[in-house]
Amino acid sequence: MLVDLAGGWNPMLGRLAWSQIPYDNPILAPLFVAVVIGAVLVLGLITYYGKWTYLWKEWLTTVDHKKLGVMYILIGLVMLFRGFIDGLMIRTQQAWAVGPHSSGVFGATHGYLTPFHFGQVYSAHGVIMILLAATPLLVGFMNIIVPIQIGARDMAYPYLNALGLWFTAAAGALIMISLFVGDFAHNGWFGYAPIFELQYSPGVGVDYWIWTMELLALGTTLGGINILATIIKMRAPGMTWGRLPIFVWASLASNVIALTSFPALQVALALVAADRYLGAHFFTAGLGGNLMLYTNLFWIWGHPEVYFVILPAFGMMSEIFPTFSEKPLFGYMTMVLASMAIAGVSWLVWLHHFFTMGAGPYVNSAFSVATMLVGIPTGVKVFNWAFTMYRGRLTFNAAMLWAIGALFLLLVGGLTGMMLAVPAINYMVHNSVFVVAHFHSMLLTIVYAIFASVIYWFPKVFGFKLNEFWAKTMFWLFSAGTALVFVPMYMLGFMGMTRRLDYVFNTAWHPYLLVMEFGIVVYTLSVLAFFALLYVSVRDHASNQVGADAWGTSRSLEWLTHSPVPFYNFAVLPHVNARDEVAWRRDNGIDHVQPDHYEDIHMPNNTGVAIVLGGLTFVLGFALVWRIWWLCAFSLLAIIALVIYRSFKGDPGYIITAAELEQMEKAAMRREARIGKQQHRVGSGVLGEAIAYARSDLPSLASQPGSTGGLDHRS
Amino acid sequence: MSHGHDDPTLHPEVQMSTSRGYFSGFAISSILMFVATFLVASHAVPPFGLLMVIAVCAGIAIIAQIYFLLHIDVSEHNIWNTVALVLFMPLFLITIGLTWWMFSQLYLRTMIMPGMMH
Ligand code: HEM
Ligand SMILES: [Cu+2]
Repeated sequence: MLVDLAGGWNPMLGRLAWSQIPYDNPILAPLFVAVVIGAVLVLGLITYYGKWTYLWKEWLTTVDHKKLGVMYILIGLVMLFRGFIDGLMIRTQQAWAVGPHSSGVFGATHGYLTPFHFGQVYSAHGVIMILLAATPLLVGFMNIIVPIQIGARDMAYPYLNALGLWFTAAAGALIMISLFVGDFAHNGWFGYAPIFELQYSPGVGVDYWIWTMELLALGTTLGGINILATIIKMRAPGMTWGRLPIFVWASLASNVIALTSFPALQVALALVAADRYLGAHFFTAGLGGNLMLYTNLFWIWGHPEVYFVILPAFGMMSEIFPTFSEKPLFGYMTMVLASMAIAGVSWLVWLHHFFTMGAGPYVNSAFSVATMLVGIPTGVKVFNWAFTMYRGRLTFNAAMLWAIGALFLLLVGGLTGMMLAVPAINYMVHNSVFVVAHFHSMLLTIVYAIFASVIYWFPKVFGFKLNEFWAKTMFWLFSAGTALVFVPMYMLGFMGMTRRLDYVFNTAWHPYLLVMEFGIVVYTLSVLAFFALLYVSVRDHASNQVGADAWGTSRSLEWLTHSPVPFYNFAVLPHVNARDEVAWRRDNGIDHVQPDHYEDIHMPNNTGVAIVLGGLTFVLGFALVWRIWWLCAFSLLAIIALVIYRSFKGDPGYIITAAELEQMEKAAMRREARIGKQQHRVGSGVLGEAIAYARSDLPSLASQPGSTGGLDHRS
Repeated sequence: MSHGHDDPTLHPEVQMSTSRGYFSGFAISSILMFVATFLVASHAVPPFGLLMVIAVCAGIAIIAQIYFLLHIDVSEHNIWNTVALVLFMPLFLITIGLTWWMFSQLYLRTMIMPGMMH
């Protein structure tokens, strides 16, 4: 052992001991019982209904980009919920522990969380929300949508895709298990030197943080490589660079950032690990260590990372606004250039996270100017969206509402970001809750864009629409919550309230904190509305079914194929003729042409290797956290052996014959025809009659070759 | 209507990789790492010289890895590797260069001199 460990170590179990299980914690112990009961219930139900083979064959071993994307999104939503609970706990503590006379329970002097626990909660909240909620949700959408939008059958590397997912899942499991075995870091989501050194954080919390982040970085890098290769190499015939949907361009820019910046994070964390495991002195105070070097390395990744998450959100908004404005996107070329410019500039600004380091006026002003440069391409985008809506035929359905909400939050976040980019202002509000409010505005922009996309693309993936009423209810509750939590937070920031307080000394802030607590209650209602949305939509799915072009005004290629998208995406790869292909086909009356014959297609086989590798990396992470060296060696060797085995085995894939394909296509067309009739009979024009009849310029369905019917409002 | 039926081992980038190449890359970087570790552990050279030697070792190791393991060169059939290199060079200069600049300014103002830090 190269370092001294507090609390002993033994060769069998490493640092693991019974005392590490927090069974006496009044919050965690009941939660643990609930989780165990829930897990037993779920596993029991799967066994009872005999769904294990289905689960294994259709989901756990799949290499289908859509299913992997759905699982990414599921992980993202679960972690979003966990992160939300953390947020709720933080808000409650701060609304409670105000002033010397506030009461305390559960061993805390004030409030209900001890400083030690409070630190873990906000650290976990940050890591989870940025890396395990926002990132998987966005990666999930890129996974599902990018291949269909460029007319591909799958990702360039289907197996690598599965691997990325299972690494992410392993990281999620690792951070979740830190709730019940040991504890989590208290150094914030980005870590501080030297507080995370072994000397000051002798527990396993920081180790959980290191390995969770490393795994996520690995998974996201692999995903990024895959999406880049897919966009560059797998485009359908005719899908030139100038015709790529903007969401694909945004994904491209975003993943260029991922590919180039995540290695910096991996290096930074590896050096922290070297300090903690090998007794090195990269970031120690003294002995040649350099504290600020850590901060520097972290933000070299950290700032590009925030643009990695916002760019796909920009892409989503760029798809949704045109669809519900019934106009092409304004300024396609400038949108592309702006995405690339944002990606480029994102590399030049990281010092704005530590202006107060004191590198002096030259350095600070250079980075200040560079930071403000980002405002130009971002402003271009905002104006492009505004001009897209200008004089459009707007439909204010739930997806559009969420997208507009994103636009407003982007303004708030962007403008406060500009303020923070001025060093003179930054010195005043750095590490205050003003900064917290700024980046929550930004990250909520992403959340809004994600919910807009959930509503927008759900019918494509599952074949039926989500319930409008509950989606809108959720939107308004969520927006009320956002206003109630973050307006007071901006104000408190200006009053000088610093971030991460487990005890609020100034009672004058209490009213604001109570308003924020009320806001989080409203947020909770919106979470309930989301559950209601899922429940009602699934219950009524038979009457909400849609055909290929779910919205009737869609523009890009993904709306050409059936809904739900067949596992081979396109029976015959489409030939792309225009920038907004589906809109183009509709305008030219060929939107219902079906291919006249089919050919065999070659598809990749499922593989269990990816999930096993995911499981092994989880074991490796856990063993590293607890320093169980034999288990580390075992899992590492197993991983290497499995990777070599898989590399030599390869995957010949399998063939879907033309005849099978024709049958499946016929079934899908029958489904669409049936839906068309059914909707006609019921008369429930989902999109509203106004649009249906205003679009009389479109040719009637009956005259189309191979027409199989569609949405009633076009017939 | 199929893709990927051609033998992947016939691709030029795969053809370029030989076990000898990988082995030399691995050996060279391992040796350089051992040399650096040994020099640090044995305090054989004064601090400033140590810094220089390690930097040179790291530089050679990077070049060896780029050449032997990543096969990055500027030949025609390796066009994507060249693109990666073109993307990488400015980023490398930005991160290292700006870091150097901000820390030299910081040391100037906080009077921490690299030689004094131990
Ligand atoms: C117009 C563009 C933007 C500008 C000018 C800007 C500026 C800044 C500045 C100067 C800070 C440092 C504040 C401080 O700590 O004193 C900051 C923090 C932050 N920003 Fe932004 N920002 C912008 C966009 C974004 C975007 C798009 C995101 C993410 C989606 C984002 C996320 C963050 C985060 C997470 C932090 C704080 C991290 C932390 O301290 O925990 N920002 N921003
Ligand atoms: Cu930043």
